[in-house]
Amino acid sequence: MLDNLKNYPVNGFYDEAVQDADTPRPAARALFTRLDGSYFDSLQEMQKAAEVAIAQMGISFTVYSDKGNIDRLWPFDAFPRTICNTEWTAISKGLTQRLKALNMFIEDVYNDRKIFKAGIIPEDVITSSKDFRPECMGMKLKHSSWACICGSDLVRDGEGKVYVLEDNLRVPSGVSYMLENRAVMKQVMPEIFQDMNILPIDEYPLQLLSMLRSLCPTNEKNPEVVVLTPGIFNSAYYEHAYLAHEMGTELVEGSDLVVLDDDCVYMRNIEGLKRVDVIYRRIDDAFIDPEVFREDSALGVPGLMRAWRAGNVAIANAPGCGVADDKVVYAYVPDMIRFYLDEEPLIDNVPTYLCDREEDRKYVLEHLSELVVKPANESGGYGLLIGPKASQEEIDTFAQLIEENPRNYIAQPTLNLSTVPTVCDKTLEPRHVDLRPFILQGKKSYVTAGGLTRVALTKGSLVVNSSQGGGSKDTWIVVEE
Amino acid sequence: MLSKVAERVYWLARYIERIENTARLAKVHSQLMLDLPKSVKLSWYDLVQITGNEDYYAENYDSRSEQNCMNMLLKDRNNSSSLMSSLWWARENIRTTRDILPREAWIHINELYIMVKNHQEDFGVRAKRNALLSTIIRSCQAFTGMLEGTMSHNETYRFLKLGMLIERADMTTRLIDEGGLFVAQEQFENEEESPFDAILWANLLRSVSAYFMYRQQYQTEISGQEVLHFLTQDKDFARSVSYCLGEMSFIMRKLPNPEPMQNALELLQKKISAEQKLNIGSNELHQHLDWIQRELSQINGLLYDNWFNPKQVA
Repeated sequence: MLDNLKNYPVNGFYDEAVQDADTPRPAARALFTRLDGSYFDSLQEMQKAAEVAIAQMGISFTVYSDKGNIDRLWPFDAFPRTICNTEWTAISKGLTQRLKALNMFIEDVYNDRKIFKAGIIPEDVITSSKDFRPECMGMKLKHSSWACICGSDLVRDGEGKVYVLEDNLRVPSGVSYMLENRAVMKQVMPEIFQDMNILPIDEYPLQLLSMLRSLCPTNEKNPEVVVLTPGIFNSAYYEHAYLAHEMGTELVEGSDLVVLDDDCVYMRNIEGLKRVDVIYRRIDDAFIDPEVFREDSALGVPGLMRAWRAGNVAIANAPGCGVADDKVVYAYVPDMIRFYLDEEPLIDNVPTYLCDREEDRKYVLEHLSELVVKPANESGGYGLLIGPKASQEEIDTFAQLIEENPRNYIAQPTLNLSTVPTVCDKTLEPRHVDLRPFILQGKKSYVTAGGLTRVALTKGSLVVNSSQGGGSKDTWIVVEE
Repeated sequence: MLSKVAERVYWLARYIERIENTARLAKVHSQLMLDLPKSVKLSWYDLVQITGNEDYYAENYDSRSEQNCMNMLLKDRNNSSSLMSSLWWARENIRTTRDILPREAWIHINELYIMVKNHQEDFGVRAKRNALLSTIIRSCQAFTGMLEGTMSHNETYRFLKLGMLIERADMTTRLIDEGGLFVAQEQFENEEESPFDAILWANLLRSVSAYFMYRQQYQTEISGQEVLHFLTQDKDFARSVSYCLGEMSFIMRKLPNPEPMQNALELLQKKISAEQKLNIGSNELHQHLDWIQRELSQINGLLYDNWFNPKQVA
C-alpha cells in the first residue's frame, strides 16, 4: 500500500506502527501518509533537527560511572510511537483503578491490615520489605493519597496485549522528558500536528500542581508547595528544576528548609522563615530526615517526619509508600483490586513467579534460561538476569542468589516486547519499546495522555533504561477521525 | 525569594566585581613597573599583602618573584580569592541560578571562563598579560551593563547590585592601600617627598578608571590627599567608598526589613566622612583602610543574619 513500508521487516514481534508488510496500523496511517515519498530522507532530517533542538534546549541527564558523573544529551528518536485513543481510554481507566487499590493497600498496611487478616497476602511480605517504615504506623492521609505520583511501566507482548510490568511509587522520574520530547517534535514536524488529532500533554505540570495543592493538610487557602531536590549533582536535577519552574514553585534543597519547635516546616526566605504546606520530594525515604532515617544524610531536613506525623505538612510521595513498590507486592496487585474495590483488574500483570513460594522457586530454578529474574527491590534495570541471553556462569550465579535469599527475587517469562520503527543509519528498523505513563492521585485522579516511550536503541536489546543505552520517543495518542 | 538564591546572586556579583578589580590591581602594578624609575624598588609581594593573602603565600610559595605573585593572584585555583577561582565560582553561581537570570548571563560568563582558561599562561608573560587583563575588565563591565539593561530591577537585581557595591567598596580601599604602600616605601628610602608621587597617583586613578572624573573635579596637581578624599568620600564617583555605601542603602530600601543594614551603612558613611587628613604612607592610613574593610565585613554579616540565614518567622 505505501512505498515506505516495503522494506520494513515485521518478524514475529508486535509492531506498534505496522500491521503487516504493507499495512500501517490505524493510529499510524496518517503519519505514514504524511511521510510518503522521500520519507526516509525527511525523517533523517527531522532526526538531525531534533538532536540540534535537544542540544540547544540543554536537555541532559547524568550517568553515574566510575569515571565521575557525566552530563549526556538525552538520546531521542524522531519516529513517534502511536496509540489510538479508544485503546488509551481503556488503559487509563485501568491505571487509575490500579493506583487507587495500591493507595488503599498502603494505608491498610500502616493501619488495620485487613488484607492480611483476610488471608489475601501473607503478612511477612510486608514485614520483610526493606521499604516498610514502622514510623508510618497509624498514619491516615488526606484522600488516602500515599503514592500521589506513580509511573507504571507498560509493555505489550507478541500478541499485542498490554500488561503492567511494574509500578514506580517511590520517586518516579522521566515526566520532563515526556514533555520535552513533545516540544521537540512540535518543532520538527509542525505540519503533522496540524493534520492529525493528537492529544496534548502539556497540561501535566498544572495537573501536578493542583494535585499537590489538594494534599494540603491544613485549611490554608493558598498552600505553599515546594519541590525538594537532592541538588544539582542528582541525575534527575534537570527534571526537578523543570517541574518547579513550570509549576512556579520554589525548588529547594534540604538546607533551605527547617522544622521549628512547633513541628511546622519553614523555608529560609529573605522575608524570614516562611511556612511550607506541601513538599514534592525527589529524595528517597532513607534521606529525608536524618533524625529518623539515615543520620549521615545531608540532603534531608531534620524533624521532617515529626512535622508530617503531626499533620502539619504533606509529603508527596508519602514516606513509607515504597512498601508497595516491591516486585513481590506487585504480584498481588490484581488481588488488591478485587479485595478493596470489588472490581476485576482492567489491565493484567505480567505472570510472575515468587521465588519465596516453594513451588514457584522450583519452577524458576529449572527454567532460568527462559525467564527474566529481577531483584524485588531495585530500579533502573540493574541486577537483572535475562535468561535467554545469559551465559551458564550468570545463570549459576543467579541460582545461588535465589537459593540464598528467595524473598528478594521474582521471575517472569521473557516477553516479546513490541517494536516501533526507529531511525537507523540507512533505513527504519524495528526496536523494542515500553511505555511509562504517569498517574496522579490527590483529590482527583489524572493519567497523562500517553507517557514516556522508552526504546532500546541497540538492535535486539530489551533494556530500555537511559542509563543502559536506551533512548526515548514521543508518544502520540491519536484520535481517529 | 529563597535565601539561598539571594545569597548566590549576591556572591555572583561579588565575584564578578572581584575579578574586575583583581585584574585592575594586577594591571596598575604592571604599569607602575614601567613608569617608576629603577631606583624605586617595586615589590610584587605588595599584591599579596593588599589582597590579604600573606599566610596562604607563606605556605605555598617560596621566593617573592613576579611569577609567583602573579600566579597566586591570578591563576592559582587553590587560592580561593584568585581571579581564576572567582571566575570559577561566578560560573557555578550562575549555573545554579540560571532560571532567574537572563539567558545571556550564563553564555557570557561561560565564554569568559573558557577564554581565560585557554589563555591563562598569558598571565605569566608580561607582554601578553595586560591585553588579557584588559579583555577581562571589559568583559566584566559588559556583563554588569547587560544585566542592568536587560533585567527587571527586582529583588534578584537588588541582591546583585548589593554584592557588586560591597565588593567594589572593599576593593577600592585595597587599591588605595596599594598606593600607600608605595609611598611608604619611597619615604623609607628617600625620607622626603618623592617626585614620582604624581605618577603613582595618576596610575592609581587610572586603575579605577577615575582619572578623568578626578580631573573634572580637581583642576590642581594630583595630590595623594585629594585622591584619598576622592576615592573614599566623594558622593558622586561610582567607585568611591562613600558612594557605594549610599547606593547600597538606597538599593535595599525595597527589600524586606532593611533598617538594621541601612543604619549600619549610614553610621559607617558618617565615620568615614568625619575622618580628616591621614598622612599618605602612614601606618594610620593603612589601619584606617583595614578598619573600613572590617566594617564592610560586619555589614556582610548583617546581610546574613537578616536575609541569607534568617532565624525568625516572617
